[in-house]
Amino acid sequence: MSQLSALSDAELVQRCRAGSTDAWNELVERFSRYVYAVCTRGFRLSEDDAEDVFQEVFTRVFTHLDTLRNDAALRPWIAQLTRRLCLDSIQKGGREQASAEPLAEDLAADLEEIDEAFTVREAMTSLSDACKEILDRFFARDQSYRTISEELDIPSGTIASRIARCLSKLRIELEGRSEPPDVSRK
Amino acid sequence: METEDYLGLRLDDFLDRLSVGGQAPGGGSAAALSVAFAAGLVAMVARCSRGTWEDATGVAAQGLAIKDRAAHLARTDAAAWQEATAALHRAGSDGAGERRDFELEQKLKRAAEVPLEIAELGADAAALAALVGEYCDGAYRADAAAAAALAAGGASAAAHLVEVNLAVREGDETLRRARASEQAAAEAAQRTLASFR
Repeated sequence: MSQLSALSDAELVQRCRAGSTDAWNELVERFSRYVYAVCTRGFRLSEDDAEDVFQEVFTRVFTHLDTLRNDAALRPWIAQLTRRLCLDSIQKGGREQASAEPLAEDLAADLEEIDEAFTVREAMTSLSDACKEILDRFFARDQSYRTISEELDIPSGTIASRIARCLSKLRIELEGRSEPPDVSRK
Repeated sequence: METEDYLGLRLDDFLDRLSVGGQAPGGGSAAALSVAFAAGLVAMVARCSRGTWEDATGVAAQGLAIKDRAAHLARTDAAAWQEATAALHRAGSDGAGERRDFELEQKLKRAAEVPLEIAELGADAAALAALVGEYCDGAYRADAAAAAALAAGGASAAAHLVEVNLAVREGDETLRRARASEQAAAEAAQRTLASFR
């Protein structure tokens, strides 16, 4: 894990404001999947429209970073900005795109799922590499205990317990996080 | 080729379809659901043991993940089996040809890969059931043992389907893994059941 990836959102914002290019790259890296997922999976924008929204989101984040009152509220700010720009994109697309628009309740469920996935992904960065590895293999790559055992050279009979303990750590990390309020001026 | 999503059916409708001859679902789907039942039971027992067992929640999460994967494979197996059967019929009616043989080989291989996944999930479900049987609230140990037996049954059935697949030969890695999973599941189930005797 790089030093920058260990920074909190608030610390990252402070470094971006100070002009650090590396910090800005880390910010884009941290939120790019999220923004793209909201565009494509949430609002079901075409690849081209999603790319336009993606560029616009990060342009605005870059130019308006000083207006963010609570640095810890970076994520809800980016989320709000992305949703607004996605809606603008759909409206600009007019009636042609209307049939592809998600229903309001589907959209809410999709966005909630994306938010949850992102929260878990963020929380996972606080875990040890061993925990990240084993959770990723079992839950994301659907690997069997035998495969995990063989590839990580861990006794097969201990895999389930190790995963359970890593999940406990992840839960503690998630419970320790509280959603900061959205306090951007824009 | 469209295969119905069995998970949307009522249980009695699914059982009716299972008992109709000559079409999916068949043994692979039933094996997948046996493993899914086992994993569901594991999750239930673990959840009911949260008060006394620190790892219970994490074990329940693994049970739920295995349940979802296995249940999904009920449909995947039926689709793979139908495609392999159709390819076999085409090969029989149109005669041999390099391209046809290649297509048939691919379909048959796919029809072996899915039961292999089911067998491996069965081994995982049985291992989890054994763990749960050891640490769970005593009131639920019988359910843990039932889960282990179901998982071992599903793994064994799936391993058999790998073994009889025409594209699988003695010494193949697919067959080795299927048998290893069957054995691991059987051993886990035996350990769990033996603890009652």
